[in-house]
Amino acid sequence: MVRVGIPRALLYFKFFPLWKKFLDELGCEVVLSPKTNQKILEKGVEIGFNELCLPIKLYYGHMAKLLDKYPDLDYVFIPRYIALDTKGFYCPKFLSLPDAMKANFHDMPPVLEWEVNSKQNLKAVWAIAFGRQLGMPTTRIMDAYSKAVHYYKEYHEVLRKGVPVPDALESVEKGEPFPDPSEIEEKPLTIFVLGHPYNTFEEFTNMSMMEKIQEMGANVLALENLPERVFEHRVKVSDKFDNYWGNEQDILQASNYFYNSGADEIDGVIFLISFACGPDSLIAEIVMRDMKDRGVPYMSLILDEHSGNAGLMTRIETFVEMIKRKKLMEVTH
Amino acid sequence: MKITFPNMGSAIYAFKALLEPLGADVVFPPPVTKETIDLGVKYSPEFVCFPFKVNVGDFIRSIESGVTNLITATDFGPCRFGFYHAIQERILRDLGYDFRMIALPQGDLLEFKWIKTLDEVCEYTGLKKLSAAWKGVRLFLIKAKLIEDIENAEGKYRCREVNRGDTDRIKRELLEKLDATKRLKDLRNFRNVIHEEFQKMDMDMSFEPLKVFLTGEIHVTLEPYVNRDLKKKLGKLGCEVTQTLSLHDWIMHKFHVNFHRKEMAHLARPHMPLDIGGEAVWVLGEYIWAATHGYDGFFHLYPFTCMPEITARGIITNKLLKEYDLPPLFVSLDENLAEAGLITRLEAMVDLMHGKRKKKNEYKQKLNAFMDSEKQDYLANQQQHK
Repeated sequence: MVRVGIPRALLYFKFFPLWKKFLDELGCEVVLSPKTNQKILEKGVEIGFNELCLPIKLYYGHMAKLLDKYPDLDYVFIPRYIALDTKGFYCPKFLSLPDAMKANFHDMPPVLEWEVNSKQNLKAVWAIAFGRQLGMPTTRIMDAYSKAVHYYKEYHEVLRKGVPVPDALESVEKGEPFPDPSEIEEKPLTIFVLGHPYNTFEEFTNMSMMEKIQEMGANVLALENLPERVFEHRVKVSDKFDNYWGNEQDILQASNYFYNSGADEIDGVIFLISFACGPDSLIAEIVMRDMKDRGVPYMSLILDEHSGNAGLMTRIETFVEMIKRKKLMEVTH
Repeated sequence: MKITFPNMGSAIYAFKALLEPLGADVVFPPPVTKETIDLGVKYSPEFVCFPFKVNVGDFIRSIESGVTNLITATDFGPCRFGFYHAIQERILRDLGYDFRMIALPQGDLLEFKWIKTLDEVCEYTGLKKLSAAWKGVRLFLIKAKLIEDIENAEGKYRCREVNRGDTDRIKRELLEKLDATKRLKDLRNFRNVIHEEFQKMDMDMSFEPLKVFLTGEIHVTLEPYVNRDLKKKLGKLGCEVTQTLSLHDWIMHKFHVNFHRKEMAHLARPHMPLDIGGEAVWVLGEYIWAATHGYDGFFHLYPFTCMPEITARGIITNKLLKEYDLPPLFVSLDENLAEAGLITRLEAMVDLMHGKRKKKNEYKQKLNAFMDSEKQDYLANQQQHK
């Protein structure tokens, strides 16, 4: 059986069910690096160059850990997501991810590179090109890919019902059926946590922020839990000008949704950004100004490898407390 | 209509040539100073790349001096540049300024979206508009090429000048002369003028300078205040600077006829197979090219946290440096760069390059001596056989 290693970082949090199902159907055994811990972070910071953003540094750390833990891997899986629609682009660091990894780890096993560039071809064509690297016949690849896409849709439906992403990912990893959505108890506050999945669900670097907000008596809403209609239209940044970043698209769509119609559904927005994230440095500016116009409380939290638990907690507590008071004022007046 | 644009070194003369025939009253932006950067830093997002901040500062100073039509380029590529004008417009509007922002799309110039922008700016109607636009574009391309020539000559001759400041003076005079020339006919001979002017300068032709290659992100590399005039500093330290990067180079690339860049992309292909924005691919190509063409050093300028350029930097330091062994110096530029620190780094780098060249020369001499002795032995053997 062919063993394929995947680092548990970056786009893992978004596309892992798709990859896992596809590779399973192609007859590969998928192994993952362990969950992020202090050692992985340190290793990543050591290897990665200091101006890189935190998720990329974590990717370096996970890659090193993966190669260290499983020396007998047949392949390492590194995606190269270029564009998921004809107009978009991913961030340059995603575009050159396999190159950056190859430059750093000289004696790594052969790389399985999944390039997706919808500007040039259909996604299925790229999937076939990917499967060919494993020496599979086209019919089998097509079959596997359609199953994987179906599975990925199912996964998203489960998320929309309210299953937390980490739980769903865990069940995908173990090959179990998805967990049922637990009963959500009604809480007075709803806080929308905006951000890339590799920031919001990376529980080590964000200090399990989601759970802590829940403990403070607020419901947490993430991008993945929003209804499908939010993500229908492209976002215009100015009159003539569309957003082009693929991985910022849903963030802007969500912020647009709350700006236009859904402002009453939430009480506050927390935007999780990793330090030196290029796209987010500009997107956060748009979201901040939108929310300010709309009067929705907004806070941006910037994560890096030096983030301290206490500081983060204080800020979240203050934010939640402030919203509570605001609601109280609204009720009393 | 008074119109202005953000600063980008001497490229502003080319932009003026583009817009002036259209009937616009072109005003140069106030030169970049500490004040510009302070303004930009104050009103920009915290960790956006440096050119954004400089542009915001430029715009604010231009608007305050009474010019309210701002024209700026925009892209649709993977890097942050495409978002510049949209967010800058929003920031300035929120500050309460009244202005008009005109975006000049340069994603792919062969899509000719830029014609619409020129149409918007043009004051004339009918056939006059057509001829004005044609003249503007031709003047722009020719002047951009001439500016590139002036800058190349500057990099080449500054290390050899006898009287300090001659190169600066000649460059300034030539740029002024170029700016004053409004007719295509008068530009025909300008290339020779540049050549002659620099030949008149007192030069020490026996001096053997270090050959260095300068490249990086386009705005910070072309704007002398932002990069603390690195080119001049290198020239004074006795380095002959080669810089293929210029506005003309970029425009030609966007018209798909820049064969230099195609060659560089070809060289970089094994290490980075696609254009990821910025100048990343060509920086890699140029590094390889410079290493195989006898250069002593490589200088890479980029704004702090620039996404494509730091990827290129990672590949150079981790992979190419071991293969090609050309000493690189990376300068990450932002508002906190201290000039003294930069000078120290440059001096250290120049020392290193001298040491390396000396070693190389010694090796060459040894090799030559060895080859000579071998040759003599061989000849002696031949003699004996006869």
